Amino acid sequence: MSVFRLKIITSRRIFYEGPCHCLIIPGLDGEQAVMAHHEEMIIAIRAGEMRLQVEENGDWEYAAVGQGFCQIAHNRAVLLADVIERPEEVDANRAREALERAREKLRQKQSVQEYHMTQAAMARALVRLKETERFTASPDRRQSGSTGGYGKSR
Amino acid sequence: MAGLREIKNRIRSIEDTRKITSAMYMISSTKMKKAKQALEATEPYFYTLQSTIDRILRHLPDMEHIYFESPEVRQRKIGLLVITDDKGLAGSYNHNILKMAQDFLDRTEHEVDLFVVGELGRQYFVSKGIHIHENFQYTVQNPTFNRARWISETILDKYQSGGIGELHVIYTRMESSMQSVAEDKQLLPIRRAPTAEIPADVYQEEFLLMPSAEEAVDAIIPNYITGFIYGALVQSYYTAHNARMMAMESATNNADDLLRDLKIMYNRARQAEITQEITEVCGGAKAQQMSRNGK
Repeated sequence: MSVFRLKIITSRRIFYEGPCHCLIIPGLDGEQAVMAHHEEMIIAIRAGEMRLQVEENGDWEYAAVGQGFCQIAHNRAVLLADVIERPEEVDANRAREALERAREKLRQKQSVQEYHMTQAAMARALVRLKETERFTASPDRRQSGSTGGYGKSR
Repeated sequence: MAGLREIKNRIRSIEDTRKITSAMYMISSTKMKKAKQALEATEPYFYTLQSTIDRILRHLPDMEHIYFESPEVRQRKIGLLVITDDKGLAGSYNHNILKMAQDFLDRTEHEVDLFVVGELGRQYFVSKGIHIHENFQYTVQNPTFNRARWISETILDKYQSGGIGELHVIYTRMESSMQSVAEDKQLLPIRRAPTAEIPADVYQEEFLLMPSAEEAVDAIIPNYITGFIYGALVQSYYTAHNARMMAMESATNNADDLLRDLKIMYNRARQAEITQEITEVCGGAKAQQMSRNGK
């Protein structure tokens, strides 16, 4: 089984450090999977869902990821993102409130800058909510593993 | 020697001040502990972010981009983000930052748009009559990523619309847990180091940027700016409390020294007064005795 070294760092902690078999991240124009001996690459990431398989045929770990980027070189990957949360860490109520706030704001007149901020906040809230649903959903739904359809792409 | 009463008054006033400084010491040491946790949590991100960006820049294909330095001169108005604290009494912490900012303003021949974080910085520039473009007063206490996002959005918006052509950040960087220095960092446009001569037989890694070089840079650089500003805010917050804690500790120590000296002085004065009284009483008694004997 071939693996690559993965380091996932967020602004608040080191989320993961160790070997990884397969990593799937939401790129700007769709999901990207990274496996061992991947081509040297830099991938920009938008708010979305990421998946991570430590061992071949092992369980998938899911997480909600914010904006960031991933750099792959010499069979090592470094993923830097502002926020990453595991489904069980997401506070569903807070995410729902954030979503409501963002919706409310979108209805009001605002500057372009505010609009961007609200859009980004909304994308984050949606992803986080989706992750909490996955956490509470039944195991058979978990297997289906839908792709990250939420979040605004540029 | 000063009168007993004066010395006593001084002792009392120093004791009162000492109460304040030692309380402030306790407050900032607890706040510092909290800030330290945030700092330690974000340090790996902050440094990896910078080294990764450096690495990306080294290997990026030659391209023109609004975020990169280009030979032709764009709008040369400079955006300056100054991060100070909300309150004083933190030793030289705020002075170093403000002095550096003032030097920057004096030196540059371009127009400068000031973005100020922290109440003390705002007061300083207002009292000097220097126009502040935007200030984020609330942001110094308890830095969060959301606030860093807001600051960087505001500034990047200006940058993209051509309002400013350069962005500098003046903040306090910590060298170690005891030492910190004020630093002026140019964030935008990003300076790309001149490509060094590489021997032909050395393998040069080349990165493929997804989705495209243009789009990746578009997404990554704002992320970098936000991350950097967040890191700068957290570091500044920590160093401010560290500086305040040390200033208050030395103030308390000074108060202790003063109190000790004053107490000695007070006791001496008191002793002198007693001795004098005894001499007076003795002298008086002797005089009376002598006059009685003389009868």
